[in-house]
Amino acid sequence: MTNALLSLKDIRKYYGKARAVEHMDLDIRQNEFFALLGASGSGKTTLLRMMAGFETPTSGQILLDGEDISHLPPNKRPVNLMFQSYALFPHMTVVQNIAYGLEMDRLPRAQIKTRVDEMLEIIQLTHLARRKPDQLSGGQQQRVALGRALVKRPRLLLLDEPLGALDKKLRGEMQMELKRIQAEFGITFVIVTHDQEEALVMADRIAILKDGALLQCGSPHEIYEHPGSRYAADFIGEMNFLSGTADADGLRTSDGHRIMAQTPDGFAPGDDVSIAIRPERLKIGDGFDNTITGRAVAMAYLGLDLQLHLQTDLAPQPLLVRLTAEDVDTARLSEGDTVTVGWSAKDTRVFKA
Amino acid sequence: MANQANPRLMLAILAAVFAFLYVPISVLVALSFNDGGLPTAWTGFSVKWYGELVRNQAIMSAALNTLIVAVVSTVMATLFGTLLAIGVEIRRRKGRFLETIIFAPMIIPDIVLAIALLSFFSMLNVTMGLHTVILSHVVFNLAFVCSVVRARLKTFDWSIVEASADLGATTAITLLRIVIPVMMPAIIAGALLAFTLSVDEFIIAFFTAGAGRASTTLPMQIFAMIRFGVTPEINALATLIMAFSVIALSLSQRLNRGGLPGQ
Repeated sequence: MTNALLSLKDIRKYYGKARAVEHMDLDIRQNEFFALLGASGSGKTTLLRMMAGFETPTSGQILLDGEDISHLPPNKRPVNLMFQSYALFPHMTVVQNIAYGLEMDRLPRAQIKTRVDEMLEIIQLTHLARRKPDQLSGGQQQRVALGRALVKRPRLLLLDEPLGALDKKLRGEMQMELKRIQAEFGITFVIVTHDQEEALVMADRIAILKDGALLQCGSPHEIYEHPGSRYAADFIGEMNFLSGTADADGLRTSDGHRIMAQTPDGFAPGDDVSIAIRPERLKIGDGFDNTITGRAVAMAYLGLDLQLHLQTDLAPQPLLVRLTAEDVDTARLSEGDTVTVGWSAKDTRVFKA
Repeated sequence: MANQANPRLMLAILAAVFAFLYVPISVLVALSFNDGGLPTAWTGFSVKWYGELVRNQAIMSAALNTLIVAVVSTVMATLFGTLLAIGVEIRRRKGRFLETIIFAPMIIPDIVLAIALLSFFSMLNVTMGLHTVILSHVVFNLAFVCSVVRARLKTFDWSIVEASADLGATTAITLLRIVIPVMMPAIIAGALLAFTLSVDEFIIAFFTAGAGRASTTLPMQIFAMIRFGVTPEINALATLIMAFSVIALSLSQRLNRGGLPGQ
């Protein structure tokens, strides 16, 4: 890829014999909002710390604008990190915290003042400029940490679980705020998160990591609609899984139901497979490629939509069905009802079991 | 403890313990204001012994020596002790540990340290004087400063050091602008402790001061005077030293607990 801002070339990282990152190739493009998504221990934070310069790869190269920065110390990289703990300087005021990085660049005093004032406006903390970090709320501290990293106008801004410490409502607001700021500044953002919803909402592209290896990289839509593995399908969003086998003319669940799908490749007859359907692809009615009847064992009202647990003989656990408020009104469902649902063959996903 | 002790009895024991600790000191303070100068009879309030004290040339020159020793050894011990504490903590975080060896001068009995230093200076043929007292005080003060600063470093948030580097600072600038300012309350606390220890240290100074009056420190002077009986000037002097030590120590403890007073 020619327009890559940051390229990881076959990065490996070992701590003694413990593997943290294995054979990682990744390109991050100019001006994109990129998410490294994985459970804890997936290597996502190690990867971020290598980009920032706090860890050096055991082997491989990190290229920024085509230049090898693998062994450059953090203070020599045009890359800034927003720390998960914020890491604000406790003895400095908000202004001093934000000015610190510019002072390190030895910018003239007047210019530092202009840029700090500008940043205070953007993070909406002008009125609290003389406060110390311990006199700020969590959300305000988070904005100072963002401002302090952003004011240096880095080529690349790294964010380590930036919204982890905020409550749910504030997190939602900050997700939008981060996206707005990223677009406004035109700076490439790389965010580390374990929250798949956060990654889907904010990122232009997502890399899913597992055990130090790259599982899949693509847009939120690609990753959600076409997960590359059972792990990715399970990790992102909600998914119904049925265990089954492939045979000469298609798929069959373990207890013999035929499942229609669009010609899954790469399976030999007799292979064990995992069949997956998103809950929102299941619709009430019987005019579909696949239909199944079951009993509504539980219903949960979620405001916009409704979650139905449907006990069928396809799988021991109930199928998860997500219905819109409109569907529910028409069907007049209540718990204990017998319900027939179905889905189209193109919505069936198949993975190696 | 199901069986609650008699609260009155507990209070009485507490009072007895405090009396044991503080009555002698109170008597000393009171006698320093006793006009008559005899420990057996109170003849009225007076500050005349404080006046006598100031006019006593030997005491004043010893006090000056003590001040020089305390200030110089405190400055040196604070500088090196702080750097040592930071270095040790960084190595500990990397898993390489050399803790016990640093605190040996704190644990070794003063008399052993005093003999060791005396032999050491003699072996090197160093002429003894105030400078050898200063060096000897640096030896144990270093350990005390180091331990006070290290105790605070255990709760130090090292991510701010990384943040400083990330924002473009070199290691030296991070030390000067981030680590030392954040650690300042503990550093001052360590310095106050070192100063107090140095002011009333006797054994090591006695062994390493060499011959002659020129390098006599205050505790040595008091020891010399006390051989001819306790004079009321010594009561006055002891009261002053105690007041000074109490102020310094409580300031040190307060600093090490929270931020700087008034912040």
